[in-house]
Amino acid sequence: MALLSVLSFGGANAVLPQLHADVVDQQHWITSAELARFWALGQLVPGPTLSVGALIGYAVAGLAGAAVASVALYVPAAVIVYALGSAWERYHANPWRDRLAAGFAPVVLGLIWAGCATLFRGAVDGMPTAVIALAAGALIIGTRVHRVAIILAAGAVGYIWLR
Amino acid sequence: MAAMTKAPVGALAVGWAFFKLGMTTYGGAASAAIGDEMVRRRKWITYEEFLTFRSIALVAPGPNSPNLAILIGRHLAGPGGALLAFMAATVPGVVAIVLFGLLALTTHSAIGGTLRGCAAAAVGLAFANALEMTAPWRSDVLRLGIVATTFVAVMVLHAPLWLTFVIFLPVSLVLLRRKPQTRN
Repeated sequence: MALLSVLSFGGANAVLPQLHADVVDQQHWITSAELARFWALGQLVPGPTLSVGALIGYAVAGLAGAAVASVALYVPAAVIVYALGSAWERYHANPWRDRLAAGFAPVVLGLIWAGCATLFRGAVDGMPTAVIALAAGALIIGTRVHRVAIILAAGAVGYIWLR
Repeated sequence: MAAMTKAPVGALAVGWAFFKLGMTTYGGAASAAIGDEMVRRRKWITYEEFLTFRSIALVAPGPNSPNLAILIGRHLAGPGGALLAFMAATVPGVVAIVLFGLLALTTHSAIGGTLRGCAAAAVGLAFANALEMTAPWRSDVLRLGIVATTFVAVMVLHAPLWLTFVIFLPVSLVLLRRKPQTRN
């Protein structure tokens, strides 16, 4: 999993096929159906989807397995990102850095819109969920209600309306 | 983007902020929540800086939200800020999924509606965040064009992330080389 950490460009979804090949096909730690169920849980639980690694580790070797899997998945990539952040701020006087940032910004914003569309496909599946999404967007832009309050309220609405 | 503003923020404050974010965000919507909290609510960084960190987080290996936590934590409060923000962004999720995995594998359907409601709201919040970041460019046809073309490449043509950067970053760099930022 440490190798996966270094290769996990673009977030958890990009890692899923490789993770499946490693833990299901090669090591036979868990079954394909278990991985799918773990993955769904990973998306529902707070924090990054990649915390699914902890659950796999737990299924294989208990709490120690969860700890080892988490460290292996998160730490190597974290070290690389920290080094990139240091390098980025070291060149703060270089005009190329600002030019690069200016060039990145609209491309990343396009990717952010694409991410919104992907989330929309996964979570909005009919009138009730569409109304909740719209109301949440309108509330955060139009009022000073906190994001967490909106999510919790939507959970309450979902508990009654989406059963 | 001019010189980065460095707000005086302590490592503990950064860690606490990311702990709260980690406890209240789901999967892909986490980056939008971080943008909302760091830029709009706390005003610790600008949207410009957020987009820069978002770029590095995307290009670098590892999941996006802990990457953002490390970069923003480091920018605001040095190595201690990066470490606390990283721990705060990852540990709660790991603990929650192990607990949740034990509980919810049996009682999954009872809480399904609640979680679907939360997920739908997270979509609305992500769109609102994207809209707010795009708004300053509403009369900047060139930048909006790059945003729109990137979106089409990813969503319609299913271009992988690395290819998107290889094609669009040089185009963006060349097109914008003499055009100052329109936002402040």
